Amino acid sequence: MTTKDEVDKERRCFLRRATTTVGGIGLAVGAVPFVSYWLPSADTEAEGQPIEVDISKLKPTEQLTVMWRGKPIWIIRRTQAMLDSLPRLNSLLRDPLSEVDQQPSYAQNIDRAIKPEFFVAVGVCTHLGCIPTYRPDVGSISPDWLGGFYCPCHGSLYDLAGRVFKGVPAPKNLVIPPYMYLTDALIRIGEDKEGSEVIES
Amino acid sequence: MKKWLVILFILWIPLPALADLPAIELEAAPIKRGDVESIKRGAKVFAGTCMACHTLKYLRYDKLARRAGVTYEKMPINVKWPQGSVPPDLSLEADARGVDWIYTYLHSFYLDPSRPTGFNNLLVPNTMMPDMVMSLQGPQALSSDYRLSRTLNHEWRWYDLLVLQQQGRMSPQEFDATIADLVNFLDYAAEPYYMESVHIGARVLAYLLVLFILMYLLKREYWKDVKKK
Amino acid sequence: MRTHRLSLRNAGIWINDRFPLRDFWRHHMTHYFAPRNFNFWYYFGSFSLLVLVNQIVTGIWLAMDYTPTAGEAFSSIQHIMRDVHYGWLLRLMHSTGASAFFVVIYLHMYRGLIYGSYKSPRELLWLIGMLLYVTLLLEAFTGYVLPWGQMSYWGAEVITSFASAIPYVGKFLVVWLRGDYSISGVTLHRFFSLHVIAVPLVILVLVFLHLVALHFVGSNNPDGIDINKAKKDKDSMPVGTIPFQPYYVLKDMVGIVVFLAIFFYIVFYMPKMAGIFLEAENFVPANAMQTPDHIAPVWYMTPFYAILRAIPNKMMGLSAMAAAIALMFVLPWLDRSKVRSIRYKGVWSKVAVSVFVVSFIGLGYVGIQPVSPVRSVMAQIFTVGYFAFFLLMPIYTAREKTKPLPGHLTP
Repeated sequence: MTTKDEVDKERRCFLRRATTTVGGIGLAVGAVPFVSYWLPSADTEAEGQPIEVDISKLKPTEQLTVMWRGKPIWIIRRTQAMLDSLPRLNSLLRDPLSEVDQQPSYAQNIDRAIKPEFFVAVGVCTHLGCIPTYRPDVGSISPDWLGGFYCPCHGSLYDLAGRVFKGVPAPKNLVIPPYMYLTDALIRIGEDKEGSEVIES
Repeated sequence: MKKWLVILFILWIPLPALADLPAIELEAAPIKRGDVESIKRGAKVFAGTCMACHTLKYLRYDKLARRAGVTYEKMPINVKWPQGSVPPDLSLEADARGVDWIYTYLHSFYLDPSRPTGFNNLLVPNTMMPDMVMSLQGPQALSSDYRLSRTLNHEWRWYDLLVLQQQGRMSPQEFDATIADLVNFLDYAAEPYYMESVHIGARVLAYLLVLFILMYLLKREYWKDVKKK
Repeated sequence: MRTHRLSLRNAGIWINDRFPLRDFWRHHMTHYFAPRNFNFWYYFGSFSLLVLVNQIVTGIWLAMDYTPTAGEAFSSIQHIMRDVHYGWLLRLMHSTGASAFFVVIYLHMYRGLIYGSYKSPRELLWLIGMLLYVTLLLEAFTGYVLPWGQMSYWGAEVITSFASAIPYVGKFLVVWLRGDYSISGVTLHRFFSLHVIAVPLVILVLVFLHLVALHFVGSNNPDGIDINKAKKDKDSMPVGTIPFQPYYVLKDMVGIVVFLAIFFYIVFYMPKMAGIFLEAENFVPANAMQTPDHIAPVWYMTPFYAILRAIPNKMMGLSAMAAAIALMFVLPWLDRSKVRSIRYKGVWSKVAVSVFVVSFIGLGYVGIQPVSPVRSVMAQIFTVGYFAFFLLMPIYTAREKTKPLPGHLTP
């Protein structure tokens, strides 16, 4: 029992704790606008919406590059010869079966595409972010080169399905973005049948 | 005597170009801020009647506006208007002029053959804007005898000075309600965050009340030391 | 021998061996002994610190999305209000904060006025405070230009043209200030730099100096009597004082919660404050070819604007406006009273302060309204009242009969 002269320590402790807790909640909730402010604004989100690309004019072996969310997206029309070369390279590749999570489920095959004829990939080297060059010509990089991509920054090499070779600096296969066919001539990049929300760079 | 009769006769004729019209008081816009249904109706009116000439360029990414048909792609963004008659962008008109002004303005068009559009407006003398609401409200004309029945410092209203010549598609009540919806939409256009603001504000103030009680009790507890000295 | 075990306590010891953190806390908080009779008027110092923090934090965030060019400034603010998540909230906190800052500062200055907190040995404290006030006016002015609305543009045009009144160099000075022949994007861009970096740094330095000066001599009190530091009570603190921490920290926090309630009520429910905090004309983009019907500065500058307008001669009007601010600086030397606080001054001082308050508020009111013959006369009367308060002060403070001071602090 406390007399009038003594300090009621328990009451003070309780009040201190209660006020600190409620005040702390206020500060935490008060931080929400400041943190949310940094999220992409409505116009940025609009810019980052999925885009539609007309692939009907693409000739065999031709490469089309479009920008989406600030990155180059390649669409390449592969020939049967190019597709046939792919299984032959498996032993030279780091991740021939695309087991590392760099692609949606429908691109987790040898061709790394929904339809083998059209290769859709993010044209950014998985080493340090340069844009690799498209080198389809057989024998151009080296005598046994069957076609693929060569990154000029540090020499990384990928095959015509964007799978990375062993012995080069890049660690992973090229990223395949979410995409879907609206018609045979029109693909939508940034959205697939599973939905489109991708807040990752 | 004849001279006076002539003068009296001239004064009797409503000559809008010569008459010095009194300044009118603004009518209070009967809107309920944040009434979403009203705002949506107003958006459709805007899309149908106003968006042929007026842009709302700051509502480009506004979901409510887009869903109601007010889309950036349909706005006259890059139209080259002749000098001196550019229809202003209305994104912030409700903040710049006030909802009461806009409500009154849209009620205050009247027939004026001396103007290129055939119409004039009590709030913006010699406006270049055509009477876009005529089909809804019906044409109005300046009353010829408004001066007679008013006292000296009467607060003039638009309906004191104008007479409806023929009812348009809507009755006066319907017209008022439609213009109220339109004005409500423009109010939303100027401050789309209003509803969220009021919603958050109530919660913030409730929280501060709780915090105040605790903080005050804590202060009073410690200040018992001071009171004793 | 210090133990090297990793703990918060040992971290504290490590820091305090190298940095006077604990000493600072003792000297400025737990053992800063403040008079126990602080009343309502003593909240506004800590309130102004709170508002300063608000302006800086919301300002930093706003600067992330604002574009300081003539072509983009207005649109960038609409981008903040509509497209950026909670942008509207931070912008309205910033605009309300600007007005709140002046409400708080005027009340803070009023406290200094009535309790004689400018008198020896606090003259320098008062001077630093006056520098803060003028700097704050500059910060508010440069900030108001940034939205690049009609009022931003034309207010800047009018206020920068004041410099043209200075003989010989005036006209050159105006162009030098603007960086262009009239207000333009050049002016906007440099005002942005001033508003975001230069002036805030000056404010922060002055606030620091202001607190150092205060703590060096100690706080005044509503009775205006000196605290005898030598005479200690049984808790070994000077008689009539209490430690700032925890007592005034707690009391100020209660006050802050009430302040926040009023502040946020305005932010969420009436941020435009009927066109006084956010002026209607500023929702129209700047148009160099069309002057608004009615140009006035924001409410917190209107008392001085009213003085300017009260005097029909341009040079005299500007001089009067400058003198009105300058007189505030020399207040410590105008007041010849033997006592500090209004509580013990004679009836003349009480009348004078009332005249000053009525004149200042009256000038502010008249300054906001459009010019009219009645208001011009009122402005002139209030100008006389304002100047009389200062210019007659050496006389009435010296000659009036003061009340005897109490022997100890009264509530």
